[in-house]
Amino acid sequence: MLRELGALTRREFIKIVRNPQAIFTSLFLPLVYLLLFGNGFNLNIASYAPPGTPPSVIEALTLAFFRGAPNYYSYFSAGMVGFVAVTSTLFIGANVIFDKLFGIFKRVRGTPAPSAAVFGARLIAGAFQPIVLAFFVLGLALLFGHLPPLNGLHITQSIGVVGAFEILLAIVLVSLMFATAFLTIGILLEVPQIYFAVVNLINLPVLLTSDALYPWGSMPPWLQTASQYNPVSLCVNVLRENFFGASYYPYGPGVYLLGLLAWTGVLVAIAIVLVRRALRPVE
Amino acid sequence: MANEGAIIAEGLVKIYNGKVTAVDGVSFSVRPGEIFGFLGPNGAGKTTTVSMLSAGLRPTKGRAVIDGLAVDVDPEAVKRRIGIIFQESTADGDLTGRENLEIAAGAFGLSRAEGRKRANELMDEMHLTEAADRYSKTYSGGMRRRLELAVGLVHHPRILFLDEPTLGLDPQGRAGFWQYVQQLRKDSGMTVFVTTHYLDEADTMCDRIAIIDHGKIVAEGTPNALKDRLGGDVVTIRTGPTASDLSEMLRPLSGVSAVQRLEVDGDPAYRVKVTNGETFVPQAVEKLYSAGAPVTGVTVKRPSLDEVFLEFTGREYREEEGPTATDRAVMMQRVRGAMGGRR
Repeated sequence: MLRELGALTRREFIKIVRNPQAIFTSLFLPLVYLLLFGNGFNLNIASYAPPGTPPSVIEALTLAFFRGAPNYYSYFSAGMVGFVAVTSTLFIGANVIFDKLFGIFKRVRGTPAPSAAVFGARLIAGAFQPIVLAFFVLGLALLFGHLPPLNGLHITQSIGVVGAFEILLAIVLVSLMFATAFLTIGILLEVPQIYFAVVNLINLPVLLTSDALYPWGSMPPWLQTASQYNPVSLCVNVLRENFFGASYYPYGPGVYLLGLLAWTGVLVAIAIVLVRRALRPVE
Repeated sequence: MANEGAIIAEGLVKIYNGKVTAVDGVSFSVRPGEIFGFLGPNGAGKTTTVSMLSAGLRPTKGRAVIDGLAVDVDPEAVKRRIGIIFQESTADGDLTGRENLEIAAGAFGLSRAEGRKRANELMDEMHLTEAADRYSKTYSGGMRRRLELAVGLVHHPRILFLDEPTLGLDPQGRAGFWQYVQQLRKDSGMTVFVTTHYLDEADTMCDRIAIIDHGKIVAEGTPNALKDRLGGDVVTIRTGPTASDLSEMLRPLSGVSAVQRLEVDGDPAYRVKVTNGETFVPQAVEKLYSAGAPVTGVTVKRPSLDEVFLEFTGREYREEEGPTATDRAVMMQRVRGAMGGRR
């Protein structure tokens, strides 16, 4: 099993490295969001406050509005990690469909490699990309903070070993979760157009019911409630609590990680059933 | 059914969606070390049969045994014992030839070192060493097929399935490919099961053949035995448009064993099996002229597999020959080109 997994994973990573256009575009999208969207959308509570409003009030409003983050950009930077977890895994399933169309998947299925190895290899490579991108996003956001007049990520809490582990775990789980979901869809479907239609049906509702991009204070209560269960929000909450403190969150990072673990576990369980069935000899 | 067959098919049936019967009770046995040809027109059930034998497709009914292993009981073990060369190219164009081989070796459970060694051996055997580190998308058609063959052999299979292996290759490529296969059989005693559209290949390369039509095997035997069953020469006489059937006029002539009315390019034609074509033609032409039926062409053929195919299916083989499969191969190449040669 491990040899099969190793060989098939090697293939996936060779494909990633040999496709510099894809690497460039996967880095370009978050860069554009961080540079343009984050700066263009940067809400400054002070500019809306009546003259003479005490700074302490403005600060309190800002913290409440952005759940402890000192400004929108910092709040949004953490959200971008969840955002890239979704957007960078979108195409994993499409690659499977193209491999089916070009006969490459047939070749793999002609080998005795277990379905776990076939799926696992693509999952490892598929989850690797959003994990790397997550750190690219955070690094870039931190860098922008030191490049005036750009806005950037300002972390207001010290992150210990446990915090760093929580952040890493949240990023890994959310990446695995979405990679699992989109990979499974790709294995089940045969037509690229249908695949893209399906992932669009998933992608936008998932992102738009999360608090990855919306300022928390601007979300209506029903959307705030819905976002509590959204896996993107669960990941982002772990990051924001560690970056800006836990005061504005009803639960600690551990609870959000458990939620994320549950989401990932359920999706992996569903994927195991569906993928094993899909990779059996055709009925 | 003999138990010692390397490949045994027992009453294989495949019905898709409960409606379309692709394979309808196919049974045969392939002896160890034999090259067995499986012939038939597009849609006859060749690829479906290969898929059932190679654990890619579950039969609706029947049983397949490969090298003593029941395919439905242990498909993984079966896959370890067989190599498959698919009809379409399955090599990954973004990988080099060597990488394709090493990854295939790993997928069959070989260690990295074993895979590397095996890749080198096969590249050498297939005369691909110089191109080993080039992306396989840059390979010519013949090189690609040789790479496919190498990938199919990477795990030392005992049985090799070749599904239309020479489709789209030029005559030189076809000859070269078959030379490798013959050498393989000679060196390792490997059993080879091949489906092909090319009857000449089957005639010269296969020890035995089976002809499948509409999902059923209609004839099986050595190429010579099948040709001998036609019993002599085959004379095809084309006439101008005429209302009457001239079969009855030809049947009483000496040496005639069978007459079949056909249509060739819209004109009536008669396919006559005779013991001696050369002596039959003058008397047939004279008889037809005297009856006022203009003869527009006569061909005399020693029996070939084309004739065998016609005899057992009632259709000219070339009429059925594969635009679908060929077009698909061409289309795939065009798509690859349109995608900038990727994959």
